[in-house]
Amino acid sequence: MHSVTSAHLQGQRELRQTAPMSGTPLIMLENVEQVFDEGRVVALCQVSLAIGHGESVAVTGPSGSGKSSLILLMCGIRTPSRGTVRWNGDAMGPPSAWTRLRRSEIGIVFQDFNLFPTLSAAENIEMPLFGCGLSGAERQRRVNVALEAVELHARARHLPHQLSGGERQRVAIARSIINDPSLILADEPTGNLDSDNAAAIMDLLFGLHQRRATTLVFVTHDPQHAARCARRIAIKDGRITAPAAATSARELT
Amino acid sequence: MNVAGLAFRNLRRRPVRSALTILGVGFAVGSFITLYGLSGSVDDNARQSADERNAHLTVHRRGAAEIFGSTMAETIGSKLTTIPGVAVVSGELLVLAATDGGAHVLAVGWADDSVFWKDAPLREGRRPRPGERKVVVIGNDIAISLGKRLGDSISLMDENFQIIGVSRYTSLISRNAILVPLADLQDLSFRTGLVTFFYVRVAHPEDPAAIKRISRAIEAKAAVTVAASEAMLQNDRLLGMTRAVSKAMAWIALFMGVLMVLNTLLMAVLERTREIGILSAIGWSPPRIMGALVVEGMILSMIGSAIGILLGILGSRLLSAIPAIGRYIEVTPTAGLIAATALAAVGLGMVGSLYPAWVATRLDPAAALERA
Repeated sequence: MHSVTSAHLQGQRELRQTAPMSGTPLIMLENVEQVFDEGRVVALCQVSLAIGHGESVAVTGPSGSGKSSLILLMCGIRTPSRGTVRWNGDAMGPPSAWTRLRRSEIGIVFQDFNLFPTLSAAENIEMPLFGCGLSGAERQRRVNVALEAVELHARARHLPHQLSGGERQRVAIARSIINDPSLILADEPTGNLDSDNAAAIMDLLFGLHQRRATTLVFVTHDPQHAARCARRIAIKDGRITAPAAATSARELT
Repeated sequence: MNVAGLAFRNLRRRPVRSALTILGVGFAVGSFITLYGLSGSVDDNARQSADERNAHLTVHRRGAAEIFGSTMAETIGSKLTTIPGVAVVSGELLVLAATDGGAHVLAVGWADDSVFWKDAPLREGRRPRPGERKVVVIGNDIAISLGKRLGDSISLMDENFQIIGVSRYTSLISRNAILVPLADLQDLSFRTGLVTFFYVRVAHPEDPAAIKRISRAIEAKAAVTVAASEAMLQNDRLLGMTRAVSKAMAWIALFMGVLMVLNTLLMAVLERTREIGILSAIGWSPPRIMGALVVEGMILSMIGSAIGILLGILGSRLLSAIPAIGRYIEVTPTAGLIAATALAAVGLGMVGSLYPAWVATRLDPAAALERA
């Protein structure tokens, strides 16, 4: 619960502005603030945002603007200092609830891949399935499906250091979709890739988004990648400065 | 792949550290088995020796802190024989005596009329005749280790004795003992008219009430303490200290092993904060992350325990091979001790991994994942 303040009302206006979808949003941030060092550092300030099922959203902004903080808040790795994050309309509470969501509903892709160096591509992809109560055969089946989805079957047994940057990111994407999530959060997924590989990775993410109707939210510095999204959100100094709603990529370009 | 396989991969990433930790746990477990086995073997070997006397009770000086060092009057024996229900009483004087080459052996003195002379099993030779002096019957092991044969002479405290018999006892202590006429051993050790303790055989050993009554009667006759022969050494201060020291060293060794597991895993956690952050990001709950690290600790402990068991058995044999120890104690860790130690090591390894695992769950995954 939070009191109704002018800031709150301003947040609600922003929320309406940034919520073009109808029905209950998949994820919604209400007047969220993220501060560090006892308030001396403000990463996010009065951020309100609603993202619907099946949307694609690009988050843009300069370095240090709060993009990554936003992603970490949206998957519950970080808890907001103030405000509420809702998943399918329900206010998210304890970390254990977020853990369950990350296990089954949210896939995360990082800029620097974050693969386990001692595990093969297939084993890295399998990691989120531990503790899900699935049989070995079912885990293997899902890994194969994910490998097919990222077109990496031939490299399944390779260790991360034996893969190119683009292949590593494909492994990371396969890992993020292994549980067939509703939401893929990608924090600068092409940041460490050359332009060809970057384009291929974005094709892959958008392909998954379209084929599986998965909600896609990604941070990018590349206007061309951002332009492929139905919505763009610009952040500066922890505030959403340019909520944009669009119905097609064409309108943005 | 399963959680154990994952743990193996992580341990193999730092092979030297993992191998050193496993060796450390192995040495800890091996030391525990050897030292704890030593402690238990002290009692076991003394008990086996007492069993060969076929006695039901032992009588030693009341309040004697060191049973082997205490003495009491030989004449007490005749008082004990008058107690109803007592079948046989025989005094025994024990002296650690220097022999040929400076080695020390256990010399056991029995009176000429002791039933123990009659009961002593002989491999060859004969027993001393009543009144015969300066003769001994030596144990079969001491005969081999000193290279003595029937008819040879052997030095005891610079006095020469003729070997007239070689015994074939089964207990280690008796196999390494030299049986001497009591009067000779009393003269040698300046303990004229004294014995270390008495062994008592009762007429009805199957009757606990009778044994209790006889014990009370014996204690009423003289300033003595009566104990079941197998419990004779329980209150001996010297043996108690030996037991306590070896047990303490054993536990310290095991504790060191736990600390090694803790240290290794704590370092692993601190080095792998990012990976732990990734695990959290892909939906691993804190208990699952904790469990994975505990499994690593248990694997270290299990492999270390397996090595430790081998080292423990080897260490026990080495300890028994040292003449100063091996003549009196055959260190033989029991299967129960080995199994209990291995289980304890794995359990303690798990305990040792709990703190690092808990530290892992306290890490802020966001901080771990933040890019530089």
